[in-house]
Amino acid sequence: MTRRLDEYKSRRDNQIKVTEMPEQEIEVFIHAHGVRPKVISAVINEALRDVLMRAEAVHNGHDDILVFVGECEEALAEPEDMADGADEHAPVDIELTLEALNIRPHHHVHCHRCRHVAVEVNFGGGSKKRRFSPAATVAVVTKWARRKFHLDPAAATEYVLHICDDNEQPRSDQHLGELVGHDACSLCFNLVKEITPQG
Amino acid sequence: MERPDQRLFAEDLLSAEFRSGEVKGLWGLPGADILPEPPPWPRVVLWITAAPRAGAPDLFYFGLDAAGYRTDPPTGTLWDPATLAVMAFEKRPKGKPNSRFARVFRTDWEKGLALYHPFDRVAAKSHPNWPAEQPHLVWTPQRTIVDYLEEFHGLLNCGDYIGV
Repeated sequence: MTRRLDEYKSRRDNQIKVTEMPEQEIEVFIHAHGVRPKVISAVINEALRDVLMRAEAVHNGHDDILVFVGECEEALAEPEDMADGADEHAPVDIELTLEALNIRPHHHVHCHRCRHVAVEVNFGGGSKKRRFSPAATVAVVTKWARRKFHLDPAAATEYVLHICDDNEQPRSDQHLGELVGHDACSLCFNLVKEITPQG
Repeated sequence: MERPDQRLFAEDLLSAEFRSGEVKGLWGLPGADILPEPPPWPRVVLWITAAPRAGAPDLFYFGLDAAGYRTDPPTGTLWDPATLAVMAFEKRPKGKPNSRFARVFRTDWEKGLALYHPFDRVAAKSHPNWPAEQPHLVWTPQRTIVDYLEEFHGLLNCGDYIGV
C-alpha cells in the first residue's frame, strides 16, 4: 500500500508540475464505449489519433468513431421552455495535435460511434426528450431533468436518475456514451426520489 | 507483501475515475501536512468536499476500514484531522430533521462509528432488508471506492445538508 501511495503521490506532484508547464507531458482522460475510462499520458504536439491508438480507443481502419473533447454542458444553458433540444458539441479531427485542439491537462476525450445519445426522462407521468452529446455526464442530464420538470430547487437534489427497466443508478460522473447499449444510441431514465434507509 | 484487497484499493486510487474527481476537487487523499504517514492497512483516510455552509468546513475527512475491498464495502465515519481520531459528534455534518442526510449521518447507531448507508459494511450486514428496498445501492465487487466517494459527495452537497 505504501508503495502504491508513493506512486499516487508522485503522480499527484507531477500533475501539479505539468499544469504549470503545459508544453510538457500531460495526462488526459480517455472514455470509450464499454470500457472504464483510462488515464493516458500525452505530449501536446502529438496527434490526437496517436494518443487514442495508444489508449486502444481507436484502431487503424476503424475511422467510424467520433471523438469529442470535453464534457458537454450545453443542456444546462438551454431555455426552460425549449423542447427536443440537441447538443451542438461537434466531433473533432483527430489528425490535429492536442495543442491545436486546445486539449489541456486532465481534459476528457470521448470516443463513440453515436453523434448524439437520444435521452428520454420519465417523471410523474410525463417525459422529456433531448439529444445529448455522448460526452455529457449523468450529472448534466440530472440537472437538466430537474429543471425541465420544475422541481423545487430546495428538494431537487433528492431526485436522481435510474435507468429504465433496471435498478441501476449510474454515477453522476459517468458519460452517457459509457451507458448506451452496443446497438443503440439512446437511453431511457426515470427520475426518482432517493430512498431514506430504514430498519 | 500487499494483500489482494490492499492492491485493489491502491489500483483504484490510480484510476481515471478517482483522479478525475480529485482534479475537479470533489475528493482525494490527505496531504502530508494533514497525515504525514498513511495509517496501516486496512485503515485509509480520504476527504470529500461539501457545499458551503456558514461555520462549516469546506471538506470532511472520512476514516475507513477497507478490509475485504472490493468484495465488501468499507466501513467507517467522519475523521478529525485535529485529533487524528474519530470526529466528535458536535463537529459532524448535520441534516434537516427526518431527511435522508440526517438518517445516513445519524450518531445514535453503532456509537456513531459507521454510516447508516448500504455502502457501509457494518450497516449493510446488519440490514438484510436493504438490498430489496434499495437495489440500486447494493455493493458488489464491481463497485469501487469512487462509488463510495461519489455517493457521499452527493449527500454533502445536497439541500438537506445544513452545516455542523
